[in-house]
Amino acid sequence: MLPEFTITRPSRIDEVIDVLSADVVPYAGGTELLLAMKMGLLVPTGLVDLKRVPGLREIAVSDTALLIGAGATHDDVARNELVRTSAPLLAEVETRVGNARVRAQGTVGGNLCFAEPRSDLLAVLAAIDASLVLRSVRGERTLSMSEFVLGPYWTDRADDELLVHVSIPMPCPAGAYLKLQITERPTVGVAAVRTSSGQCRLVVGSVVEVPLVITAESWEEIDPVAIAREVEPVSDIAGSSEYKKHVTEVYVRRVIGLAQGGGR
Amino acid sequence: MPEVDAGAEHGTVGRSVQRRDLLEKVTGAAIYTVDITPPGTLHAKVVRSAYAHAQIVRIDAEAALAMPGVVAVVTADDIKDLYPRFGHIVPDHYILATGKVRYYGEPVALVVAETFAAAADAAAEVEVHYSELPAAMSVAEALAPSAPLVHEEAFVVSADESFSAMAATPTLEEVTERTNVAHEVALGWGDVEAALASAHLVVSNEGMKFPMLYAYAMEPYNAIATYADGQLHVISTAQHPFMVRTDLARIFDLPLARVRVQVPYLGGGYGSKSYTKVEPLAAVGSWATGRPVKLVLDVEEAIYTTRADAAEVNVRTAFDADGAILARDIELRLDSGAYADNSPLVLAKAANRCFGPYRIPNLRVRARSVYTNTSPASSYRGFGAPQGSFACEVNLDKAADLLSIDGDELRRRNLVDHGEEILPGKRGLDADLKADLDLVVDSLRRDATQAQASGIGYAVTASDAGAFPVSTAQVRLQTDGSVVVLSGSTEMGQGSRSTLAQIAAEELGVELDVVSVSQSDTATVAYERTTGASRTTTLTGLALQRACADARSKAAEMAAEVFGWSAGEITQVRGGVCGPQERFVAFGEVIMRWFGANAGEITGIGLVRRTGATQKMPPFWECGIVGVEVDVDQETGEIDVRQLVTVADVGFAINPRAVEGQDLGAATQGMGIALFEELIYDGPQLVNPNVVDYRVPRMRDLPAKIDTMIVERRDGIGPYGAKGAGEGALNPMAAAVASAVGRAIGKWPTQVPLTPERVWRLINDLPEAES
Amino acid sequence: MSEPHVSETKSATTSRPGSATEVATTVNGVAHRSWVANRTTLASFLRDGLTLTGTKVSCELQVCGVCSVLVDGQPVSSCTYLAADVDGRTVETVEGLASGERLHALQQAFVRNFALQCGFCTPGFLMMSKALLERNPDPTEDEVREYLDGNICRCTGYQPIVAAVLEAAAEMRGGRSA
Repeated sequence: MLPEFTITRPSRIDEVIDVLSADVVPYAGGTELLLAMKMGLLVPTGLVDLKRVPGLREIAVSDTALLIGAGATHDDVARNELVRTSAPLLAEVETRVGNARVRAQGTVGGNLCFAEPRSDLLAVLAAIDASLVLRSVRGERTLSMSEFVLGPYWTDRADDELLVHVSIPMPCPAGAYLKLQITERPTVGVAAVRTSSGQCRLVVGSVVEVPLVITAESWEEIDPVAIAREVEPVSDIAGSSEYKKHVTEVYVRRVIGLAQGGGR
Repeated sequence: MPEVDAGAEHGTVGRSVQRRDLLEKVTGAAIYTVDITPPGTLHAKVVRSAYAHAQIVRIDAEAALAMPGVVAVVTADDIKDLYPRFGHIVPDHYILATGKVRYYGEPVALVVAETFAAAADAAAEVEVHYSELPAAMSVAEALAPSAPLVHEEAFVVSADESFSAMAATPTLEEVTERTNVAHEVALGWGDVEAALASAHLVVSNEGMKFPMLYAYAMEPYNAIATYADGQLHVISTAQHPFMVRTDLARIFDLPLARVRVQVPYLGGGYGSKSYTKVEPLAAVGSWATGRPVKLVLDVEEAIYTTRADAAEVNVRTAFDADGAILARDIELRLDSGAYADNSPLVLAKAANRCFGPYRIPNLRVRARSVYTNTSPASSYRGFGAPQGSFACEVNLDKAADLLSIDGDELRRRNLVDHGEEILPGKRGLDADLKADLDLVVDSLRRDATQAQASGIGYAVTASDAGAFPVSTAQVRLQTDGSVVVLSGSTEMGQGSRSTLAQIAAEELGVELDVVSVSQSDTATVAYERTTGASRTTTLTGLALQRACADARSKAAEMAAEVFGWSAGEITQVRGGVCGPQERFVAFGEVIMRWFGANAGEITGIGLVRRTGATQKMPPFWECGIVGVEVDVDQETGEIDVRQLVTVADVGFAINPRAVEGQDLGAATQGMGIALFEELIYDGPQLVNPNVVDYRVPRMRDLPAKIDTMIVERRDGIGPYGAKGAGEGALNPMAAAVASAVGRAIGKWPTQVPLTPERVWRLINDLPEAES
Repeated sequence: MSEPHVSETKSATTSRPGSATEVATTVNGVAHRSWVANRTTLASFLRDGLTLTGTKVSCELQVCGVCSVLVDGQPVSSCTYLAADVDGRTVETVEGLASGERLHALQQAFVRNFALQCGFCTPGFLMMSKALLERNPDPTEDEVREYLDGNICRCTGYQPIVAAVLEAAAEMRGGRSA
């Protein structure tokens, strides 16, 4: 049973950021927020509906960046022609997030701001070096993924800030993403991409509190065993820490193999 | 007009006719209990225990009662003048916790309010003060010398002789000292010790673990009760409305005739809706308020209402040099949770079924059902069979390896033949399991890959169906030739509405579409003991055949009277009777001529009890013959099921597609047990009381190849040689998958579900992870 | 400003100012206008408010798919979707699938293929299948499995459902409604 709350439906971003606070929170697909409210984990007094704000859902590309509105759903991203041609790895990963309803309702912004560590999106956006644009009445700022995600369910977003869009550098690094997933969320997710400057970027997600980013000049320099030693997963219903470390090593090795083969 | 003759080609049965309930279900018109809200209904929410084991010191309900819309808060104190307990075998189950709570999630109070929201909001304000007690969270803890007692008092077994008839195993002598053993049975014959001592080979599997399970019938338990004018009317999600009626009548000291239990469509059952669940709670809510009360549980509450018994099994089997079984020695311990419910019978059946349909000259089975401070366990599809077969079938494959005999050949050498007894004095096996096993293994081998990381596995079970033969049915022939069938068997998805209509159409020689079937309303339909143990086709079907025969002979008698024919001049034909000079008179015309009006009906009654064909128990053996091929990722332990093969040995398939559907559904649930499903306690409560963390099979888990075969040898006692179906394919699945994985990795599993981590640990000889 | 009258649904009422929203929506082609408590889920609005009980609820965590309905053609888990959000939008439920007496090709194919048993999950499967075929009229078997993987059925073992969806897709492409 949901608690009681108010709903406001602004039609402009300015109106959104005017009312955001610790108790009055952005609300889009609700796939994370409403569940957390049902379970009593979050008890906001007001929801600010972002779904009726024009522009927040837009996806656009420039010479230097692909801009994905925070209100775009996973399905929007997965099926968008711009994304499919300029960031195919991201499009591919977005076709496998959650289930078809979560993909149709859940948004990129919601996923990022919730910062659930077992997230495909966090790992792949960290791999392709996305940056995030936040806006408040105090102004606008741009954060890298590592600046934004501070811990499990913890980001650098201030209560009065709105995540406006995600910016992906063009040309987008290409590579591969692999995950071991038994239940609703991945146990371990690994991404391996090569940037336009030739740098190898490997990201380990889900098994860690925040995505672990490793860069190297060549894939051979990245040691899956060393990475497995570095991660400190918690034991839970998806597996013991020991097992998660082991599959991290296996998946890192496998995703590097895929990336060496070209990837997406 | 062809005569009604069992030897003639069947008209309606044996064909995959469109199931009649499906049309209503695809339009959203089908009504389930949860869809019903009578005018003036109050809504209830249960206040549940926050401890696994604690004394209830005090319940403060004032704050909750003062909230808007709240009508009543019912606690154990309010119902102490009623008979405050229920339970099929042992009436140990308190409607509302009395004195103490025995598991986390146990109902402590019931808030009744004008809306569900008001009830839910107020339930959070009921303050229950506890004094925590030491808890026994596992069988090991419950059996420890100084274990806290889950129940201080002993309860008399309330079941009638049907319990002992179905148990087959003697209940061990009453112990005087109280322990947490809820029930204990022993079964066996011969000299096991001597056989073990002289055997060529003894193979043992110790500590084989079978998990706590949640059936996840997708419609959670719910009920609407109306207590008024000394009558109780309950609509609920009950598989066995007549059994629930008995419990309710005892609680309120009402005559059975003043308790009406109605069951509309059921959103899944799988055994989990057997016997009484939430009906007493809704009923005391209505009794306390004088208004209809609706109680709908959510999934978490449903999980804490009933689960399947977890098991730990030790098995030793002695063989001679040719692989003939000389003896089996089996020890079973069931974790039955805080209340016995139906677990004593589950235990008895587990004991009967665990050693398998093999020729075993010396046998010893010792089985205990143990109370723990966990959610109560009761019936679940397969009823004790999956628990035992996992350990004992894997044990055979391990033995086959050691004897250098193929697993199927080892089984072939030991399986009993058609007609041979499995349990002394009981009905002989009414199936040809060797032929069935050949079908499964041939199909698997035909498509098996030669990949090193793959393996095939197969397993065989035979269950002495727990279908105690007390069944009745009625048919009412109408003036226009249409037919109403009345049955107390519940349509829960298995397709009984359609099957019964097919039987009635066949027996009366009428078109299927003029037959309607009314089910599961204790005030209006014919008595049926339960809807469980795959009994409906066989036992209700027999009763219905007899009801149709009764109606036909009544029609013949009435025609004789009306037309002045002698009994010898009349033959029973399709749709009516035939008199002299081939004069055909339809049933409707017989009725109208006899009553002398465009009105009236003929009622045929069919009764089944333990006599004649249904004298010998069990009425049939429900067999399970399945196989799988799996691929195992040797690095991560992930399993991919490539092939699933099942044989439904059902005697005769009244609706073949429906039988296939039941078999595939059962096999898929079994695959869930083998691969994913497990309720896990960490401390007093479950870690995963929800469908996110309790993972069930999904569409993408479907094997690439599915081969569901039906074998019809007309060797059952049911209509046209039919036997029960629908559980069989579940029972051996965990064993089959475990054996396939065992062959793929060269190590024999000791536990299901086979999560990737468990498989990885098995491959690498690592101990089980700390939970 | 006085608080407007809030239509009572069985699952949620409200007394707090501002905790209700006026909703104008079209459900299966029928226009509705009413005030709903903000905390009312779409499932509750449909089942309790409009007595459209064809839509069922089970896991309440968006994973079982039983409560799937379409909002502006997009699939949603109505157990975790606010009724307030259908304001200005159209909702399709299982009750709206058939055209009068004529069943939708998916409904027919589900019946023909024994793609349901207890039927509790069926409304959700039908609505998700409709959403799938609207975006992909010619799905492969893998695409069907992928898209419907978020819907649970405990009775059938899924294979008949996959067969039914593929069969309905073929029929709908052929323009027949058999």
